[in-house]
Amino acid sequence: MQKVELLAPAGDLEKLKFAYLYGADAVYCSGKRFGLRANANNFTLEEIKEATKIAHDLNKKIYITVNIIFHEEELEGLEEYLLNLSEIGVDAIIASDIYVIKKAKSLNCSFEVHISTQASVLNKEAALFYKDLGVTRIVLAREASLIDIEDIKNETGLELECFIHGAMCTSFSGRCVLSNYCTNRDSNRGGCAQICRWTFDYPESEVPFSMTPKDLNLVEYISDMIKVGVNSFKVEGRMRGIYYIATVILVYRRLIDKINEDKLTHQEVNYYLSILNRCANRESTPQFINKLPTHEEQYFLGRDEVSNQDFLGMVLDYEEETKLVTLEQRNYFEIGTEVEFFGPKIETFSYKVNKIYNEKMEEIEVANHPQMIIKLKINQKVNKYDMMRLKVFDKQNFL
Amino acid sequence: MLAKEKMKNKYLLTVTRDLLDVKVKNLNFLFPIEGYSVGFQDVFKISEIKKEDAYLYINRLLDKESIISLKEELKYLKPNIVGICFNDLGMIRIAKELNLQVKLIYMNNHNTTNKASINAYLEDVDSALISTDITEEEMTIILNEAKKPLVLPCFGLVEVMCSRRHLLTNFQTEFGLDLKNEQVLFENNSKNAFRVVENEYGTVFYKDKYIDYRHIHHENILFYYINGLHLSKENLEKIVKNEKIENTETGFLNQKTYYRLKEMNECKK
Repeated sequence: MQKVELLAPAGDLEKLKFAYLYGADAVYCSGKRFGLRANANNFTLEEIKEATKIAHDLNKKIYITVNIIFHEEELEGLEEYLLNLSEIGVDAIIASDIYVIKKAKSLNCSFEVHISTQASVLNKEAALFYKDLGVTRIVLAREASLIDIEDIKNETGLELECFIHGAMCTSFSGRCVLSNYCTNRDSNRGGCAQICRWTFDYPESEVPFSMTPKDLNLVEYISDMIKVGVNSFKVEGRMRGIYYIATVILVYRRLIDKINEDKLTHQEVNYYLSILNRCANRESTPQFINKLPTHEEQYFLGRDEVSNQDFLGMVLDYEEETKLVTLEQRNYFEIGTEVEFFGPKIETFSYKVNKIYNEKMEEIEVANHPQMIIKLKINQKVNKYDMMRLKVFDKQNFL
Repeated sequence: MLAKEKMKNKYLLTVTRDLLDVKVKNLNFLFPIEGYSVGFQDVFKISEIKKEDAYLYINRLLDKESIISLKEELKYLKPNIVGICFNDLGMIRIAKELNLQVKLIYMNNHNTTNKASINAYLEDVDSALISTDITEEEMTIILNEAKKPLVLPCFGLVEVMCSRRHLLTNFQTEFGLDLKNEQVLFENNSKNAFRVVENEYGTVFYKDKYIDYRHIHHENILFYYINGLHLSKENLEKIVKNEKIENTETGFLNQKTYYRLKEMNECKK
């Protein structure tokens, strides 16, 4: 089976490090300009340089989004920016504006050019148009079906990247300016106010009109997508926190590895689905991969979204002699709380909190201050940057 | 001046059946094509188009199946079809493969927002529609610098959003409402009304006010584009006579959009 890439989002350097640590083969992020998450932290050129060094030291890759639709005023500075990225040595840029592609080629930039999902490529002819321009990879429209994906792969030989997890646009990407009209924020330059999550008055109905899609989740189709030749599996969420990144990336890492080893069971798929849905706080579905989504793949009357505080702590240290784990608290827990430890180098395991110590090794009843340092005694070895979460699902129940 | 006057009268009209017999000089009809258009109820089979100098409107993003069937249909294009206006860039390769002797006009309203990108597209097509997402000042820069004459939005409803989903049907199904494939929705915060049109290939939101850019003239214009959706014959005649029409706006011509909250807040101060 071909080696496939797991591609993670990173809104800042910390998230990038967690993405790599938890199993991403590559990360995509944006500079301070020209990316579609204009209000995320994003990376300075110095940070992109640092991030690229981190990536390459780990033998991993880094892609930079340059995927806004340019207005006249943004053209200034683009050439210099592309040359800077080239000199830094990023592996690819993700672009949607045809001028960016042609400019990068004319400047002989060292990086590859990937076509952003903003270009909504759905067929081999459009893919070949971009191939003729020198593009090496297509990030397909989320509307692509498995049949479309297979056809594009067979007919173009291009690398294909598909979103497999995260929030969906209601619109074809790049073909919505509702935000411009309703808030004066330009969606195609990174200012999207997510108007498709708002409600609208609908004549003859007391219920307001809404059109929010449920999230995308292709856990059950990863194997099929590998078979038809998808090269890169992309997770959405540059605005998401480290717990989300770690959880989602680790689930897909294990899933892909098990598929490669031909060891994935249906029960494990169900377990992973439960973890992912819980982590995102939202329902998710396969969306367009196997059929046209119906009303069942949308939310109405607002999202069925329940906030949770599952992320309880981050491992800072573990002493094998004393069996003491030092944690930085992230959410409330107390004696008696059932928790799970998970991390890239350990098998997820459960633990019932029976004693909690503070930094001075005094016993306390609850861990109730954000970022307080606490210690627990556990027999199984954990590693720095492993995470502790509330135990919600018991893997044994899925087996 | 003469050139301007001459060019000013070259209109391209997205046509509905109600407008087929309209008497306007220098008007080319743009036909939304059955199976390949979204955002229109009134669509035409290629074989039924009899008008001279007609253009086909193919604004769907095409999938595997539609590429196959479209190629078959385009093989037998009659000489009265002189151009294709399209959204999916795959159309460029299809036209080359079939050796179609027609004008290719790229009509994606949202990514023709600067001179450099438009000139990049113009290396492969004969013309392109200028986006309505930009200011008049930006349009002028583009018109001054474009390597080929462009299509200028002139009048009509503007496409604001296009989804592959059946958004009206999905909502109506969820709440047991009558199934209608066209509806006007109202957004309360911004006081915007949107006309929503659904067909088999998806759903389009239009701003439910006509943009009126009739005051813009330039020698580098191939066509003045009029979207005939929900336009009466009387109004169409008024458009070309430059008479006043109700329910119009100038869109973003004089209103720059922002994308960083910081810039927006500074602008509001």
